[in-house]
Amino acid sequence: MKNPTSNSNLLLAVLKKDLRLYSRNMIYIFLTVISLVFFVVIYWVVPDTVDEDINFAITPPISVLVNDGLKSLPAQGVPESVRQQAKEIEEGFEEEGLGLVELENEEELKKVILGELEVYRTDQGQFIIRDPAGDQKKPADAEKVNLDIGMSFPPTFLRDAALGEKPKVTVYADAAVPDEIRNAMEGFISELAYQVAGYELPVELPDEEAIILGEDRLGNQISLREKMRPLLAFFIMMMETFTLASLISNEVLQRTVTALLVTPLKVWHFLLAKTIFGTALAMGQSVIVLLFVGSFTTDNWHLLLTIILLGSLLFTAVAMFVGAAGKDFIGQLMFSLLFLIPLLIPSFAVLFPGSVASWVSVLPSYPIVRLLYDVTIYDTLWVDSLGWLLYALLWAAIIYSAGLFVLKRKVATL
Amino acid sequence: MSINRILKILGKDFAVEPRKPFFIWALLLPFALTLLFQFAFGSLFEPKPRLGIVDLGESSLTSSVQELEGFEVTILESPDELIEQVGKHDFDAGLVLEPGFDEAIQGGEKPTLEFYLSGESLASNRIIISVTAIEMIRGLEGEEPPVEVETVFFSDPGLPISIRLVPIIVFYALAMSGMWVPSSSLVEEKEKGTLTAMLVSSARINEVLVAKWLLGFLFATFLAAVTLLLNQAFGPRPLEVMVVVIVAAALTSVIGLLIGIYSKTATMLFTLIKGLGFFLFIPVIFYLFPDWPQWIAKIFPLYWVISPIWEVSIMGEPLSTVWFELLIALAIIIVLVIIAVLMRKRILD
Repeated sequence: MKNPTSNSNLLLAVLKKDLRLYSRNMIYIFLTVISLVFFVVIYWVVPDTVDEDINFAITPPISVLVNDGLKSLPAQGVPESVRQQAKEIEEGFEEEGLGLVELENEEELKKVILGELEVYRTDQGQFIIRDPAGDQKKPADAEKVNLDIGMSFPPTFLRDAALGEKPKVTVYADAAVPDEIRNAMEGFISELAYQVAGYELPVELPDEEAIILGEDRLGNQISLREKMRPLLAFFIMMMETFTLASLISNEVLQRTVTALLVTPLKVWHFLLAKTIFGTALAMGQSVIVLLFVGSFTTDNWHLLLTIILLGSLLFTAVAMFVGAAGKDFIGQLMFSLLFLIPLLIPSFAVLFPGSVASWVSVLPSYPIVRLLYDVTIYDTLWVDSLGWLLYALLWAAIIYSAGLFVLKRKVATL
Repeated sequence: MSINRILKILGKDFAVEPRKPFFIWALLLPFALTLLFQFAFGSLFEPKPRLGIVDLGESSLTSSVQELEGFEVTILESPDELIEQVGKHDFDAGLVLEPGFDEAIQGGEKPTLEFYLSGESLASNRIIISVTAIEMIRGLEGEEPPVEVETVFFSDPGLPISIRLVPIIVFYALAMSGMWVPSSSLVEEKEKGTLTAMLVSSARINEVLVAKWLLGFLFATFLAAVTLLLNQAFGPRPLEVMVVVIVAAALTSVIGLLIGIYSKTATMLFTLIKGLGFFLFIPVIFYLFPDWPQWIAKIFPLYWVISPIWEVSIMGEPLSTVWFELLIALAIIIVLVIIAVLMRKRILD
């Protein structure tokens, strides 16, 4: 008798069965929902700004330091260039990356560093000093400034430095201030003294624009929240490996696949259905997460969908590989981790630049992470992504072929 | 209850369980987490300026920079490699020292500094690296700086993030071994029917449960101790640390036993552990954020064991300072044991 069932109907039937099994499995529904909620919440909780400044306090205020210092210089015997350098001292404190708070006296400075006084910066950039033990309320629309290092200059600093009398500057620091910041502050004071004393720099400094490599993101740094975007999509795709691997494992363990194969269903129907189901599951959830974190734009949505499709296919292939082993729940979970941990490594390259070796780029998941990172953070489009896309496609094809081969062989031997 | 039978069941578990994958994972976890948290996440919370150097002429500056505290210094072979890596933000800055650089400085020749900054480096790191580099180059001139800088420190240094992460690693060691091991062992026996086989012999339910609890307890004690050892967090009173670790292992193993009694399948077990995991994990987060109101952590049961571990091992406090916490932990253990006894028949369902 001729089989009237079409290929598409057979595929649809297997997909419906998988979907029903998936929806009945409370653990996967639970994990899917909790992961989606957790990832989206994490995204909105992590900071979306980057604090680039080193906050520090000085006393006396710069205007007092410079004006009183200039007045104290003797009228004769001090070169005009030194007076000029002294006037430019203010510019040194205005460098980008320095968050300067000027305080009236040394006692106030000590109390601020000790935390006995609080400093707030208003929206207009003014500083308010508050005694937390006093009656003064916390100022509205003002942000607390964490100050754990400060410098106390002697009132005669300019005169002494200009005349070569080696002034003494005291740095007050909380013991928790990192060594590199404390050393830099001490170096900064030395450099001010060198400048006032008329010493030239021992080297010629190249033009600032020539030494900045890559896009200068000063004041526009990539926040942790932005870095999370590609990672969330990647993690969601990766987690779906557990789900599909478990579904396949169950089919192998319970031999439902052999039962299916006595129907008009062929092995390739089964394999294709698993590919479609796994890819759609991973892709669907990644798209949901990326929608919630606002990653799609009118320019990148097609590229982003292509990347997610390739990533989902890659992890579906891994799931086929793992599922073919036909292990029980715990065994399958642990076996999945053996594959997923190495595939997780490239995501560290995103969070911790410079922390991973160059061999990481050889890993199959690297091009997917790279592409997600470039597209969601640097707004890279098709032209600049083609190389990585081909690389990702190559890996997806290799792993998929391997997964398909292993699962097909397993099904044939059942 | 026969101690002999309990030991026999325990002996069987010790012979069989180590071959299972979750047992191996539980064993590897403290090592993996120590590696991950101490090296990777530690640098996420407290990133240090990263400087790459190409020294083409054996400058004394290179060794001086390598000795600096607070910098990650990498020596590279070629300027092209340095430029590429600074461009990719593998380094915050890069410095190329040409042959004869030191002599040129000492001779007052003012050579041009070949210095690069990554566009993605923070403004603070740019200042730190630039100022430090200039100061060190000034040092090559051999002249005394025209200023005297005295540094006065206030308070004790705070705990580094690598230490504040230790409770998380200990928590996972306790959870993986104390909760996973007895519960999964029990559920597996249920699923495979070996539990029924055991119970038709002379073994009683209580003996099986005590053996499973002991399995988790011994394993959790061992792994928590290894984790503290790996993180050099045993403090000045190792014996007192062991006392709090034993109480913590006892508590997590009872929780594991209860989960094992309640779960009928491995899937249910996994769901329960995943669901409960977050609830149990919450007190640990408070060690990462000491500014948060700490009383909230006390609502959660594992606070009463994590806090003593923190105080005695990390802070070096004597056991007498945490007697109240340990008492509460023991009270929780007793309540959970009573619940386990009341629920024990469920394992026959």
